[in-house]
Amino acid sequence: MSDALAPEFTAFNRWLAAGELRLPWCDACRRHHWYPMPRCPHCRASDIGWRAVAGRARLYSWTEVSHRFDPRYQGPLPYIVALVEFDDAPGVRLVTNLVDTPREWLAVHLPLVADFRAAGETPPRVLFRAALTRSE
Amino acid sequence: MSTDIAIVGIGQTRPVRRADRPLRTLAVEAVQAALDDAGLDASDIDGIITDGVIMPHTVPREFIAAQFGIERGFDGGTSFGGAGNACAPELAQLAIRGGRARTVLYYFGVDWGSRAGGPYGFHDMYPAKMAFEKPYGFNAQPTYFALWARRYMHEYGMTPDDLAAVAIAHRDNALLNPLAQNRKPLTREGYYDSRLVAEPMRVADCCLISDGVGAFIMTSLERARDLRQPPVKVLASRFASEPFTGDDIFTQQREIVRVTGAHRAMEAALAEAGITRGDIDFAELYDCFTISLLVQLEDLGFCARGEAPALVRERGIGVHGGLPVNTHGGLLAHSYLLGVEHVLEAVRQLRGQAGAAQVASAEIGLVGGWSIPDYGVLLLGRDRR
Ligand SMILES: [Zn+2]
Repeated sequence: MSDALAPEFTAFNRWLAAGELRLPWCDACRRHHWYPMPRCPHCRASDIGWRAVAGRARLYSWTEVSHRFDPRYQGPLPYIVALVEFDDAPGVRLVTNLVDTPREWLAVHLPLVADFRAAGETPPRVLFRAALTRSE
Repeated sequence: MSTDIAIVGIGQTRPVRRADRPLRTLAVEAVQAALDDAGLDASDIDGIITDGVIMPHTVPREFIAAQFGIERGFDGGTSFGGAGNACAPELAQLAIRGGRARTVLYYFGVDWGSRAGGPYGFHDMYPAKMAFEKPYGFNAQPTYFALWARRYMHEYGMTPDDLAAVAIAHRDNALLNPLAQNRKPLTREGYYDSRLVAEPMRVADCCLISDGVGAFIMTSLERARDLRQPPVKVLASRFASEPFTGDDIFTQQREIVRVTGAHRAMEAALAEAGITRGDIDFAELYDCFTISLLVQLEDLGFCARGEAPALVRERGIGVHGGLPVNTHGGLLAHSYLLGVEHVLEAVRQLRGQAGAAQVASAEIGLVGGWSIPDYGVLLLGRDRR
């Protein structure tokens, strides 16, 4: 699906495949942004690097998808699409899927951690799960 | 020189889920219907406008010009989709006032009902969506707006009943319109029987998918007064946008549940027309989803943030409600031609030709067109000379 990635997009997947979550970082204004782009959307500088985040996030919004809108997406139905905000990259929100998180726990601000079980797939994906487990 | 312009002819094909003829044929039919409605000949047209993103790949302007033998002296492309439909008069007005054109044709349509990929395929043009969203199954407009609806529920306490009220009001309006694609009555029970596709979005929260084309013709108000139909005056048509792209608009705005451009376009249009919101008798707004209609009512300034569900509940948005909205049934129940049908319906209302859906003493109508991150506001009025 993503065999023609824009050049500024490839670094994210390279880091992710190596088990690390890195986001674009502007050296000029010292802020993260998303998505990757040639100029920083905050200060328009073009000296953009990649900086690791710890992978702790909070749930901003979510939806349980129960319809196959696009046949190119072949995952099992239903699945949860989540929009998450990072504790150490304020203002950046990432689209991801939730795993191992009971449906009744879903609420805005739910603490989450990154899960790398799908980082070896093509394309690599970073998933998230509830920071607490059922037994805690 | 300030020259008022008017919409003098409208035409459309009957919107359907899958048309039995190609989009180009539908476009020719809609344009001919608009010419016939105005009582004009194709040789009267000297400028053509359509949207700048979708139509150039499907029914380009030179195709229409060639089919009708139109000698163009003016050619224009506006935004895309919804904002393009509402802002076409802005461009026509500039051209006519500037002496570059005398009579301008606008047309817009889609065959997303029959085209492979449909509306979802349109977003394949956004590279970050392809790279970082579609692999997670975040791959269709209902999923984007589901995130908005969920967040809006969290912030303002909206309930599924509030979404149901919007869907039901639109379906009730559609029942009054013989051209509407979905004329099956919708009850509250029926809403909850409707299938969840991206919770909390149900099928009944999503716009239709359609094949069809709409067209309208604009010329100076002075000339319009000699033509066949009652002129519908363009009071203002204004575009506004914000520095976002289709890639980041759904997820990265500081406050995601917000219709970029709507407030600024509305303020500019009201100032130009010299009217206030209270003067508006009805509104045809870009209701791609129930949630989008609610947020637009707020960003256009009809109520404060978080209060749109109460506006729908208490003031009413039916044809006979306090603020009639989408009197033809909207994108939710009339058709999904990205809002060109909203312009045509506003013209019918102001001519007094809206049949059973006619708003009593409709003098001024609003059309709100959205094509994220762009917004267009069109204010139309009855010619009161
Ligand atoms: Zn910066």
